[in-house]
Amino acid sequence: MRKELLVLLTLLGLLAASLAQLGFFDLARLERGARNLLEFSRGMVPPDLGILPLAGRALLETLQMAFVGTTLGFLLALPLGILGTRILFPRTVVVPARLLMAGIRTIPSLLWAVLLVIVVGLGPLAGTLALAAYTVGYLGKLYAEFFDGVDPEVIEAVRGAGASRLHLARFVLWPESANSVLSQLLFMFEYNIRVSSILGFVGAGGIGFYMYVYVNSLEYQRLATLLALIFLLVLGMDLASAWLRRRYLLRT
Amino acid sequence: MDHPATVRCEDLWFSYPGQSPVLRGISLQVPEGAFWAIFGPSGAGKTTLMKCLAGLLRPQRGQIALLGHAVNGNGLPGWLRLKVGYIPQQLGLVRGLTALENVLLGSLGRNGGLGSILGAFPKDEVERAREYLALLGIGQKAREKAYRLSGGERQRVAIARTLLQGPRIIFADEFVSDLDLPRATQILTTLRELGQRQRLTFVMNLHEVEVTHQVADQALVLKAGCLVHQGPARELSTADLLAILQ
Repeated sequence: MRKELLVLLTLLGLLAASLAQLGFFDLARLERGARNLLEFSRGMVPPDLGILPLAGRALLETLQMAFVGTTLGFLLALPLGILGTRILFPRTVVVPARLLMAGIRTIPSLLWAVLLVIVVGLGPLAGTLALAAYTVGYLGKLYAEFFDGVDPEVIEAVRGAGASRLHLARFVLWPESANSVLSQLLFMFEYNIRVSSILGFVGAGGIGFYMYVYVNSLEYQRLATLLALIFLLVLGMDLASAWLRRRYLLRT
Repeated sequence: MDHPATVRCEDLWFSYPGQSPVLRGISLQVPEGAFWAIFGPSGAGKTTLMKCLAGLLRPQRGQIALLGHAVNGNGLPGWLRLKVGYIPQQLGLVRGLTALENVLLGSLGRNGGLGSILGAFPKDEVERAREYLALLGIGQKAREKAYRLSGGERQRVAIARTLLQGPRIIFADEFVSDLDLPRATQILTTLRELGQRQRLTFVMNLHEVEVTHQVADQALVLKAGCLVHQGPARELSTADLLAILQ
């Protein structure tokens, strides 16, 4: 009991020290911040609906980036995940596949976008490739874990009937983990929609470019319109994926 | 009848890492077309013996030969693997596939092409798969997903999958344990008849002594990794088994 109390007190101490260091106890600054927030919020109303046609096009581009980036990433993540499956492949295959995925995952999407803007130039192509890259690293790793969780006895039984590795991937790994695989794919799509809305900050296309412009030129009413549209898009996507999960993924 | 031994093992010893031996010097010779039943309490080594014989586990000592081919424990060569069917205790069915699709997995050794990857199996394989399901009394469940089937139905799907593989030997680990006595006897009788027609050899772990009286040739009893009894199956009663295991 005393040990637990000691752990709790240490944690509280660490939290207080970190809060102080990060400026949370600087009351004058916090008060200034609150006033700024109020002013900022006032500046956002009423939202400027005149930019709706422009914002609509940008939003569509954002959605396209997330859709294509997620799809491309998924198509590469699936085979890489299979190659990273310990119950199917020897270490000489599994280790390089997993290292590759870990390497890709280390770099966040925003940094991928910066790198790809340098490589392919400004615009949504760079953003889409950035989303695809991060998706490969993230989904590939998750898929390898899902596949490794498949009952080895099922693999053994089907392998015993003369199935090749490709057969095992198609007839055992896929049907046994399809629910989790598709569920994570949906999650990734939602995540990529959120991320793609800020990739424009680094010139990688989508609605983020306009957000960046409006923030810098202090056009908060226009920014408010963009934020409201992104909110509606994310909300719509959450509802759609919840429906998809209920309809197709919860039946087994 | 003097048939060559289809399954043969001599002085088989096996232990899992860091544990005392699970199998202690097992020797047996199963003739072609025979139907053998192995009994024993939990932990007697029945499953381990089955896995060693099927080439899934490598014994530390002893020799195994299947269809006259020495098995060295590094898995079975491709041609021999197809000749050896193994039905695990948990059956190894793919839950998300239908009964028919699960049975068709038994034909993958013959159908390695692109068609099978896309899920298109040759017509004659599909027909045979349906025939086996019908033979085992679950023809009407062909389109049902495996996770929707009852325990007994799943066991029959696993049998049908193994039969479609076209093996010469079938090792089965307590695979009728979820069936009631009349149903288990019926399934075993069907397998026995099929085995006699196709000269199939069966070696199976079972629980109920009674179900084997009409079908099995030999009954073996394992106790603490040793073979403590071997004799005609019809002469072994539950009381005898209990006495042996005392």
